[in-house]
Amino acid sequence: MLEVRGVSTRYGQISMLRNVSITLGEGEIACLLGPNGAGKTTLIRTILGIVRPVTGSILFRGERIDGLTTDQIVKRGIGVVPEGRRIFPKMTAEENLRMGAFAQWGTTEVAGRLEQIFDRFPRLRERRRQIAATMSGGEQAMLAIGRALMGRPRLLLLDEPSLGLSPLLVEQIFEMIQAINRQGTTVFLVEQNARKTLALAHHGYLLQKGEIVGAGTAAELGESDIVRHAYLRA
Amino acid sequence: MIGVWAVELGLFVLVVAALLAERPIAVGLTVAAIGILLLAARTSPRLWGWVATAFRTHRAAALAGAAVLALALPFFLRASPYWTFVATMALIYVTIGQGLNVQMGTAGVINLAGAAFAGLGGYTVGLLTVRLGFAPWLAFAIGPLVAMVVGALLFIPILKVRGHYLALVTIAFGFIFNILMNNLEFTGGPQGIKNIPTLRLFGHAFTTAPTLFGVTLPSHANFYYAALAMAALVTWLAWRLYNSWVGLTLNTLRDDEIAAKCSGVSVTRHKLLAFSIGNLFVGLAGAFYAVMVGFVSPPDFDFGYSLVMLSVVILGGLDSIPGVVLGACLLIPLPERFRMLHEYRLLLYGAAIVLMLLFRPRGLWPAGVRRYGLGSPAGSFGAAGTRAEGVGVSR
Repeated sequence: MLEVRGVSTRYGQISMLRNVSITLGEGEIACLLGPNGAGKTTLIRTILGIVRPVTGSILFRGERIDGLTTDQIVKRGIGVVPEGRRIFPKMTAEENLRMGAFAQWGTTEVAGRLEQIFDRFPRLRERRRQIAATMSGGEQAMLAIGRALMGRPRLLLLDEPSLGLSPLLVEQIFEMIQAINRQGTTVFLVEQNARKTLALAHHGYLLQKGEIVGAGTAAELGESDIVRHAYLRA
Repeated sequence: MIGVWAVELGLFVLVVAALLAERPIAVGLTVAAIGILLLAARTSPRLWGWVATAFRTHRAAALAGAAVLALALPFFLRASPYWTFVATMALIYVTIGQGLNVQMGTAGVINLAGAAFAGLGGYTVGLLTVRLGFAPWLAFAIGPLVAMVVGALLFIPILKVRGHYLALVTIAFGFIFNILMNNLEFTGGPQGIKNIPTLRLFGHAFTTAPTLFGVTLPSHANFYYAALAMAALVTWLAWRLYNSWVGLTLNTLRDDEIAAKCSGVSVTRHKLLAFSIGNLFVGLAGAFYAVMVGFVSPPDFDFGYSLVMLSVVILGGLDSIPGVVLGACLLIPLPERFRMLHEYRLLLYGAAIVLMLLFRPRGLWPAGVRRYGLGSPAGSFGAAGTRAEGVGVSR
């Protein structure tokens, strides 16, 4: 589904990612763990074409997408919950969701999808005409996920969706991610919460200082010394 | 419905009185009436709520009533060509305001060179008719297009900057335009271009005084009606745009460019679209101004006017179509009314903006929430109601 091959990026003189390679199979939940500043968000941004790789290539469903613009990349079937959620603050919940189906704009399909999202997140139906910035953190997180799903993505990229949420909401968000995956969407989850993430993911990668330092199934990663010491405090 | 018309008629009488009152008693009465009205609106939410609901439920009637009154205005101002001219200027500023609002309010692309784009429209008309002998209507049609095309060229450097830097680029463009017009030979330098021929419609020259229903109006009434048609057309187009998918997409650029990209929006293309549509409207208004006054010169399009245009949009409410109309209709005639204050009038602009930011930060008539009809993907008409209570709306 998604293949990142030997990608390196830099911001000016500073090297952010070094020779990063990851592979995501169809229907999987893969995760990316790593401390702050490891380059997790940079990797997401590189996949999306917001940051350009210096070397390496990125393939989505067998076709190269590095070099395309962000809007072209997401139209191929990638949904994003960006870092910090980045909902459209001055627009209503419904408008935010509608923008998620931007590629299908003007088609009658949008109304149906909207109803499906409202069924999945009844809270958003209640808030449909509320300005997004005035919604609670949990509602905003649901809105960001709902917006990403409106485009019916084959691949969903989530950059720390649980950030700043209460434990109860984090639990809900993880359950939703699992439900979304069971309906056939491939998920790439970037998280700090290693324990919960590993419980959910099929396999994962460990990123440190811009390099992949560990890879394997969720169980293998959970057993590895780096993860145990750095994240699980075991 | 009758109630809506009564309210409109009352406001109309007040506006005419405010414009024409000369004797101390009349002025005093008008000021008192406006004061009472403002106080009533402020202290009695029930009255305000009743008016708002009435206008929302009888939207068509309200629009028809407003149209009739706008058409009737020149008859009441016929003793004063000057006020007819000022009313026409207000309508020109409605057109400009709608253009700038597409750029700044809807898409968040700051444009501080409104006067320069109006000047491009105006100068094009002047140069084409006076220097090259084009037919006035043809030149009038080309003027806005030139403003749009030059804007698209300026867009190349604009694309690389945003926020304050974008403001600086447009300010620089405004000054470059002015300096060029002042110094180029073929634009007439500081003298400008004189004797721009007026428009004719079915053989009727816009400079001859029209006689309607047996009443002879000042010749400026021609331009008043033409400007009314132009402002109404542009406002209708802006309204359609605002309520369409395109309007919503432009909103995402204003709110968060990265999130817009992640939703599949081509930021470049949509920014260019907003910038071009806006400049087209502004250029149209500039071309209209040129044929109305029959003369263009650099001081007509200097930076100060760009700020007035900006004030119209901010006063009315960013991204609010009716707000722009209200802003222009207040901000253009009011300083004329206070002409006796001379240069201190400029303070009014400053004071108005500061008071606005303090008491109505989202504008006098804040943007409403779009309504989406079930099953209609493009969204239906009628963005009534204010956005969620408590979002910086101070009442």
